[in-house]
Order: sequence, then structure tokens, then C-alpha cells
Amino acid sequence: MPVSALPDGAAQAAAKPLHLHGVRLDHRGGDGRPFRVLDIPDLTIPAGARVGLRGPSGSGKTSLLHLIAGLIVPDAGSVAWDAKAVSSLPIPARDLWRRETIGFVFQDFHLIPELDVAANITLPATFSSWRIDKAQHERAAALAGRMGLGDLRRKARVLSRGEQQRVAIARAVLGRPALILADEPTASLDAEHANEVGALLVEVAREAGATLICASHDAALLARMERVVEIGALTGKPLALAS
Amino acid sequence: MNPFPMVWADIRALRWTALAIVTLVALAVAIGVAIGAQERALRRSSAAAAEDFDLLIGAPGSQTQLVMSSIYLQPDAIPLIDGRLLNTLAKDERVAAVAPIAFGDISRGYVIVGTTADLVSRWGRLKPSEGRFFAGEGEAVLGADVSYKLGETIEPSHGVLGHAAKPGQVDEEEAGHRHEGHGYVAVGRLPRLGSPWDRAILVPVENVWEVHGLGNGHASEEAGIGLPFDGQKIPGVPAIVVKPRSVAGAYQLRAQYRQGGTMAFFPAEVLVTLYRALGDVRDVLVVASVLNAVLILAAVLLLLVAVAGLRRRRYAVLRALGAPRAYVLLVVWLGMALLIGAGCLSGLAVGAVFTRAVSGLVEAQTGLRLAFSLESREMLQVLLLFAIGSVVSLLPALMSYRAPVVAGLRE
Ligand SMILES: Nc1ncnc2c1ncn2[C@@H]1O[C@H](COP(=O)(O)OP(=O)(O)OP(=O)(O)O)[C@@H](O)[C@H]1O
Ligand SMILES: [Mg+2]
Repeated sequence: MPVSALPDGAAQAAAKPLHLHGVRLDHRGGDGRPFRVLDIPDLTIPAGARVGLRGPSGSGKTSLLHLIAGLIVPDAGSVAWDAKAVSSLPIPARDLWRRETIGFVFQDFHLIPELDVAANITLPATFSSWRIDKAQHERAAALAGRMGLGDLRRKARVLSRGEQQRVAIARAVLGRPALILADEPTASLDAEHANEVGALLVEVAREAGATLICASHDAALLARMERVVEIGALTGKPLALAS
Repeated sequence: MNPFPMVWADIRALRWTALAIVTLVALAVAIGVAIGAQERALRRSSAAAAEDFDLLIGAPGSQTQLVMSSIYLQPDAIPLIDGRLLNTLAKDERVAAVAPIAFGDISRGYVIVGTTADLVSRWGRLKPSEGRFFAGEGEAVLGADVSYKLGETIEPSHGVLGHAAKPGQVDEEEAGHRHEGHGYVAVGRLPRLGSPWDRAILVPVENVWEVHGLGNGHASEEAGIGLPFDGQKIPGVPAIVVKPRSVAGAYQLRAQYRQGGTMAFFPAEVLVTLYRALGDVRDVLVVASVLNAVLILAAVLLLLVAVAGLRRRRYAVLRALGAPRAYVLLVVWLGMALLIGAGCLSGLAVGAVFTRAVSGLVEAQTGLRLAFSLESREMLQVLLLFAIGSVVSLLPALMSYRAPVVAGLRE
């Protein structure tokens, strides 16, 4: 697929460096006792970087993404977007920051099956405004075309998995996020679709100048990243991340 | 913030369940509305039917029975009172007008009522819609719904007690009890009254007496019809309607004719007692319908709570995409309020249809025309139900509002 500029040159939220400092995250085990999932003394992801997170199942990749997105707060330490300490914001402020800054892509797409392609892509715009303006409709259509989705009126329910993930990527980047988080975006796709989706993800991130953080087991996808961070197996003691 | 695309998606996702919710709520509303509207319509039209009957005098017995048979024309065996009373009353200065009501015959299933032209015209209030009122013996005035045409001959038969004749139909019972040699000619028709009198054939009372071999109440055959009756023997009648000149006079007359072998009363009072009973029945039904509505709301709430639980991941995804908690709250709450609101609105419509259907049955049975109207009482009921429903749907909405995002995402 040819690399082309995004349809309009409107300003996007500028990517900023992401700092994690002294972050510790505990979950409770079946016996009710907490166990440490993440212990990150210090990690900085520079603005506009493309970083892969690799690690065995259960190593805490998803947890780390949730932490960065402000969906959970660490038991100790801080997550900061440049100078903004996201992890200590109150919930409404974190919701607002997430809406303005982050685009999330899930392994299982999580589209709204009853809505069509266009409505799925523009859904996040309805979180903040009553009307979706013309520019946004055009951008949604352009993004869909860019993702190879011709028919905007098709319900998400009937799309193939590859198509669904492309809609999900379009939805994630509609608001020009400065930080794109993807949790195993290719894991439920076959190799061919996975390749396409991986390429698209990297493309839109690069064009937008956004930071991209991808948790994945997919070597092909990780190969597209500038850097891969290893999150080691939980072998009794939590692994600290080196940056 | 515009939650409606999501609200719409949620309702579409529910589909049949949404339809079931709307139907259930509509049913609850319709039943409540129908009970209220039906009772009021029955009360209004029965009161309207009794309007021209200020004071009834009859032989001692059941007042209700006399009202039912003389005003609502439900045939019954009624003891007679002395016909001479008609002359006495006509001369009484407290009386503006007086008329007999005599019944017992039918034709084509229509009740034949013997009376005088005064009552036919409802004390001068009505003009015939066709033809004229009767002016001599053997003439008949038709109620608005009677299928005879002007100029047609009407053959009376003796009505058999306990046999429910179908208006407009001659049955075996009627054919077997024909009064041979008697007949009426239809000369006029009354405008629609919305009362059982629309299905009556009105004839001079003299004819009813003669058909039963009692003479005509006049001294000679040529005397003409109506009051006064100057015959040697004046036959009895089941009921006398009196239009008093004044309220005071009405009370005096009632007091006077309550004794001495007669019974006198205001039909309006009998109706008030009947309405009280009707109101009690309505209250019981209303309580039942409220309980019904509460049960339905509870069931709907349970369903919605379950649905909100099943949608934890869906809403968690919205949150992860940046939706504020208030957005999720609105999506859940608006969806449910919309369903309940749609149920309330269609319930009003279904209630109206239902009431009309029942009114049709009542009219077919009795000739009473029930006018359907929705009034503030029902509107308030429905509004209240909607308000309670909306408040109650805040519960699942708050559940979704408070649900932790990550737990939802991991489901
Ligand atoms: N809410 C929770 N309560 C208890 N334990 C949890 C909870 N959420 C996650 N965990 C545990 O935390 C650890 C990290 O989970 P996480 O989902 O972050 O791993 P992951 O690296 O994304 O794994 P995978 O590659 O399988 O997606 C796992 O052991 C998981 O069981
Ligand atoms: Mg994971």
C-alpha cells in the first residue's frame, strides 16, 4: 500500500516523552495475597518513538498499556506525559487526557457491531461534541479509504477480522492522538491480514508523528518497531525494565 | 457529548428484548388507562342518558330496577301504578311536564316504548331528524338506530321476560308472540341521543294500553292522544317521569309521592350510588393495575440490570477510547428511559384502542354510547410511571458508571 499523507494537514496533538518512574503494580492472586506484576524503576519513551513490548504471556504487557493509558493507577511511582503526572490525576481529568491524547487498538477490535463503519470510526468524536462536523466526516471517510474500506455503510458485524481491525485503527487515529497504544493488534488475524494491519499501524503513527507502543508476540510486527522492550517472565521476582 | 449513536446501537443490539420491554410497559400503561377512561366514559354517558329524567315515580320496589328499565330500557317486570296519577300530576303547579313510560312490547328486537309526545321531544328540546313526531294513535317515532324506514309498518310482539332480543333482528320468540291486528306506521325519527333510546320505537301510550286490551284511557275514540286522560278507566303504567318547575318543588314532590303506595326518587341519586359502587370497583382495578405496573417495572429493571452487566466490556471499551463516565451513564440511562417512554406512549395508544373496543361492546349490548377521552388523571398516571421508570433505570446506569474499566476490558 502506498504511503500517502493524511488527508488534511490540520495540527495534531504533539507527541511528548512518556516517563515511568518507580512504577510498581500489584495484582491479587487467587489466595488474596498481592503479587507484583510490574516493577519499573525508570523508563522513558521519547516523543514519536515506536516501541514494541515483548514478553511471555502473563508478564504484564496489557497491564503496562492500561497503566500508560491511565485506566489503572500504579501502586507506587508515577506515569507522566512530559510534565503531566497522569497517574495522579482525578478520574475525570484522566478521562479527558485519554480522550485527547490516546488512540487504543485492542486485540479483539471491540467495534460496536450494530454501527456501520463510518459510525464506528467517528464514535470517539461523540464523546466530546454533539455534532460530528464535516471535516471529521471527511477525515473518517479518507481514513477508511486509506485502510482499504470502501463501503462506509456496512455494519461492523459483517466485516472480516482484518477489516474490523482496520476500522479499529481508523477509530483510534481519528482524533489525531499523540500516543497510540496497541495491545496485540495482530494476534487474532491470519498472517496476511496481520502484515497489512501492522504496516498500516506503523504508517499512520509515523505520519502523525505519534508515539506508538505495541504489545505483541508477533515477530513481524515487532520488527517494524524502532525498539523492543523485553518484559521478562515472572520467575519469582519481578523483572525490572531497563530502558 | 452525544450519546445517541450509542443509545441507538444498544437498542438495536437488544432488538426483540427491546420490543418485549416496550410491549410489557405498554400493556401495563394500557390497562391502567383503559380502566380509568372506561369508568369515566360509562359514568358520563349514563348520566347524559338520564338527563331528561328528573324525577321518577313508580310502584314501590327497586329504584335501580326502575331506572334500568325506564331510562336504560333493560326490560324487566315492573309493577304498575295507577294511571290517574298522570292527570293529578299534570294539574300540579309544581310540575312543568309529566309523561308515562310503558313498555313490554318489541318489534324486530327493538323495545317499543309507550309515552306522550312531550317525552319523545324531551320536553321540547329535540326536533325530529326525519319526518315528524306522532300525532295520533298507530303512529310511531323511531330511535336513531332503528332499522325501520319511515312509512313502514311496525308489528309489535309481546316481549318475553328473560329473553334477550337482538336489536334489528326478528327471532322465533318474537315471531311467536305477535300481537295480531295491531301495527304502527313510522312517521318520524329522533336525532341520535347516544343512549338506549336510539334503539327504541316510541309510540303513543294509548296504543300500548290497547294492545294489551286495557282500552285507551280516553272517554272516546276520537279524543286524540296525550294528557289529560279522561276515560272512566285509566290503565296503569310502570313509570312516570316528572319534570318539576323548581328544585324546591322537586323535593316536595319526591317527599309527597314516597308514600301512599308510590315510590318517587331522583334517578341522579340512584346513579350516584351506582357510581360509588363503580368507583369502588375501579379503585380495586386501579390498585391491581398499579401492582401490575410495579411488577412489570421490576421485571424490566431486572432485565436491564442483567443487560448492563452483560455489556460491561462494551462500555469499558468506550471508556478506554476516552469516553467520560457521564457518557456511559447517559447511554445506559437514555436507552432505558427511551424504551420505557416508548412503552408509555404506545400504552396510551393501545389503551385508547382497548377502551374503544370495550366501548363498542358496551354499546352493542346496551346502546349506551361511550365517548373515549384521555384526561389529566391518566396522563398523570402515565407520567408518574415514566418518572418512576426513569429514576429506576438510573440504577443500572450508575452500575455502569461505577464499573471499573480494566475489569470490563478483561472480561
Ligand atoms: N485484575 C487482576 N487481578 C488479578 N490478577 C491480574 C489481574 N489482571 C491481571 N492479572 C495478572 O497479572 C499478570 C499480567 O497480566 P497481563 O494481562 O498484563 O499479561 P500480558 O503480558 O498481557 O499477557 P498476555 O500476553 O497473555 O496478554 C497475569 O499474571 C494476570 O493473571
Ligand atoms: Mg495481554
